[in-house]
Amino acid sequence: MIPKVLCGYSNLFTEYTELRVQENRSVNIAVVNGDVMGNSRSSSSGVSARTYSNGVWGFSSDPEINDENIRKVIAFATRNAKFLGSRENKGGKSLPVTLGNSIRDYSTAKDRKSQKDLIDFVREIDSRIMQDFKEITSRTVALGLLDMEKSLLTSDGSSAYSMTPKSIMYISMSTERDGQLIELFDIYGGLGQFEDVFTTPDMLFEQMDEYYGHLRRKAEGIYPDAGIKECIFDADLAGILAHEAIGHTTEADSVRGGSIAGDYLNQEVASPLVTMVDFANSAYGKPCPIPVFIDDEGTEAKDVVLIDEGVLKRFMHNKETSIQFDDEPTGNARAYRFNDEPIIRMRNTAILPGKSKLEDMIASVQDGYYLMKPSNGQADSTSEFMFGIIQGYEIKNGKLGRAIRDTTISGIAFDMLKTVTAISDEMKWTCAGMCGKKQPIPVGMGGPAIKCRVNIGGR
Amino acid sequence: MSSRKDITNYCIEAMLKAGIQKAQCTLSDKSKDEFNVDGGEISLLRTTNDTSLYMMGIIDDKRGSVSINKTDKESIDKAVKEVYDLAESSEADSANDISELQPSKVFQKGPAESDLNLMYDRITAFLAYSLETYPSLILEQAILDFVSKKSYFRNSNGVYFESSRGIYNFSPMFTSKEGAEISSFNYSGFSSGNLDRELHEYGSIDTLMKQSTEQISTKEISGKFTGEIIITPDCIEDFLSHITSFLSDYPLISGTSIYKDSLNELIADPQLTLHSKPVSDEIADGYFFTPDGYEARNSTIIENGVLKTFLLGLYGAKKTGKPKAVNSGDSYVIDAGKYSFEEMVSSVEKGILMCRFSGGNPSDSGDFSGVCKNSYYIENGEILYPVRETMISGNLGELLKNIRRISRERIDFGSEILPWIQVGGITISGK
Repeated sequence: MIPKVLCGYSNLFTEYTELRVQENRSVNIAVVNGDVMGNSRSSSSGVSARTYSNGVWGFSSDPEINDENIRKVIAFATRNAKFLGSRENKGGKSLPVTLGNSIRDYSTAKDRKSQKDLIDFVREIDSRIMQDFKEITSRTVALGLLDMEKSLLTSDGSSAYSMTPKSIMYISMSTERDGQLIELFDIYGGLGQFEDVFTTPDMLFEQMDEYYGHLRRKAEGIYPDAGIKECIFDADLAGILAHEAIGHTTEADSVRGGSIAGDYLNQEVASPLVTMVDFANSAYGKPCPIPVFIDDEGTEAKDVVLIDEGVLKRFMHNKETSIQFDDEPTGNARAYRFNDEPIIRMRNTAILPGKSKLEDMIASVQDGYYLMKPSNGQADSTSEFMFGIIQGYEIKNGKLGRAIRDTTISGIAFDMLKTVTAISDEMKWTCAGMCGKKQPIPVGMGGPAIKCRVNIGGR
Repeated sequence: MSSRKDITNYCIEAMLKAGIQKAQCTLSDKSKDEFNVDGGEISLLRTTNDTSLYMMGIIDDKRGSVSINKTDKESIDKAVKEVYDLAESSEADSANDISELQPSKVFQKGPAESDLNLMYDRITAFLAYSLETYPSLILEQAILDFVSKKSYFRNSNGVYFESSRGIYNFSPMFTSKEGAEISSFNYSGFSSGNLDRELHEYGSIDTLMKQSTEQISTKEISGKFTGEIIITPDCIEDFLSHITSFLSDYPLISGTSIYKDSLNELIADPQLTLHSKPVSDEIADGYFFTPDGYEARNSTIIENGVLKTFLLGLYGAKKTGKPKAVNSGDSYVIDAGKYSFEEMVSSVEKGILMCRFSGGNPSDSGDFSGVCKNSYYIENGEILYPVRETMISGNLGELLKNIRRISRERIDFGSEILPWIQVGGITISGK
């Protein structure tokens, strides 16, 4: 479907130009209380060009991928850049030349499942909940599959083809206590097409049993006491902290827009235990959830060490900000759909594991909380963050106690990271969510468990 | 297929021919012209075209749907086969249906084309105004776009709607900075059928930019207390989206909505009247027909505190046995109250002027908590200073019942018209 080679069009580039052909394909199935409420497939494809002239950009796109339209979008993007360039007359510097070539295809080699196979799989999960989890009053099982397939050619000579799929199963269950609904959700899956990520439904059963246990305990749970508390963040929470509260402040366009991180370069912003990296495509010898080898500006994607042993070392760049910050492009320019322009995005952001054992970390807390799962999170240019917490336990005298109900934590990330006193030796990745910043985009978030002090909202 | 109307006709006929018993399709063509500002400078002119063709089919009460962005015969024929396969793969649900016959209509609103020169002039004037009036303010990003959208809806019951829309949208995001001190970022926006005024004169943009420069220096408040909050029009949207989501298909079908048994009951203070007005002249934005194929009408969702309608679509209504809404929500208008903003502030003994809320998703029971951003501390009827690291918590159901005052003044965002709302009984906690 997507032409892997666009080289025939390079003679049409009169300015710095990126030409991209892309198709996003998705499948969504949702079973709510046993009824198939969602059963859909979608695809969206097209061609786009972006051109840089006189310090400004022009962009154009069209959904029809053919020779005439490819020529047309190059011409329109060039026209837009020249329209803006002639008025702004910035006389911008030339962009750095980056050269990279890559073909990465994560398509499954197995026979593809039919929609009926997928629905049956989801139904089997749903049946398991209905049969074995007797206290459930409402349940949703949803499957979301996304394939992103793109080909890129730049006037620098970079070319790339990638097919990056992700497969996510979402399960939500509610139970009732004293007339009040108590809800919890869990997420399964990651990089790869369905056939490579999910084999049989029973592969999820053990994790589902644990999840049901957490929900039952949450139903009997308490609201945490509000205030600054000693807490252990489990990996899911450490990942979203790395992404939302620190990662966004260190995207160079955010720094240019006034982010607090701009004033902290080469300063101590965290405990020396903390090292944080935006991985390009692999970590510790394994592929990351969202591997990026060549970004959408044709730059080879490299790992960016954002914080090294507590010191803020670097920002994430595209070509343009690398000039403004006198650095090199880092391969963070990414676009979501064919008609989106590349902007600076994280790839796979994680706090690196330490040397502590999770059980020792819990045992070291006299009066605090073990916070396991976030619902959503937001952060600010000041690094002030807020995360909803939907799963956790109190810790009393070094032992896990009662489960807690939904609450919120908040703080200033660059202050909070200075309170980190232990980091566990295990690493976990997630890639269920989409990061929102003008465009949505899949990202990976990862981390170990961390021990820190944080403001917990109580009820 | 010489026209877009013909394409929708072909889609329906092809689906019926394939064995689909009830068929529906929506074809949309969208073009966009967009100026981007990054770091205070105009950086990009973006022109995009896209098409969306959504096809849904029902066989023996089993439903499947496919969305593509191509309209050639080969792509449509392939998609029709997929719709058939998906529906056949699904399971029967008698709530699956399509809208019944209504008179065909063609709707039009807003300009057909953008004025690129005017857009450029407006955004350059906005940058100059911002720089001159608020030198400490950094425009991290601002987007001025014009969206032209033509949509065609058809189903096998003979329903046919066509609409053409053109609208300008502007959304600036900014932070203020002096030395090493910075404010929280903030943002606002508006939609309009024209650009008759300078951009900062629309909605609440100028007010929020001014506030941003005040918020460079913030103070913590101490302790935890129960107080009042005055929610600004920009911030009300954060709460409105959660409240209206409780009235929509999914929580009502799954039985998790706090309002599932509250139709025609008092769910809010009688001062509150909330409308959805997608086809009102009051609303610059809006829509003419719903995704499931009904001509949209304006509705009153909450009248003097009483819940008058859910926001159920055709499927949700059949599934729950509750009445279908006459629109699909949005375009919200809250009636003006009888108090001035000054009167509201002067009545607050201890509380927060809440200008932005960064909160977790509310629980199924409506409990919420989160951080007050870009907000101010109020004591003894006076706005004293911008706050930092201040959290609030409460319950959405209680929040509506604890409305104390609604302002006479309202902000017209083009997509919504909203007042300031004063609420009591909120837990406010400082550091």
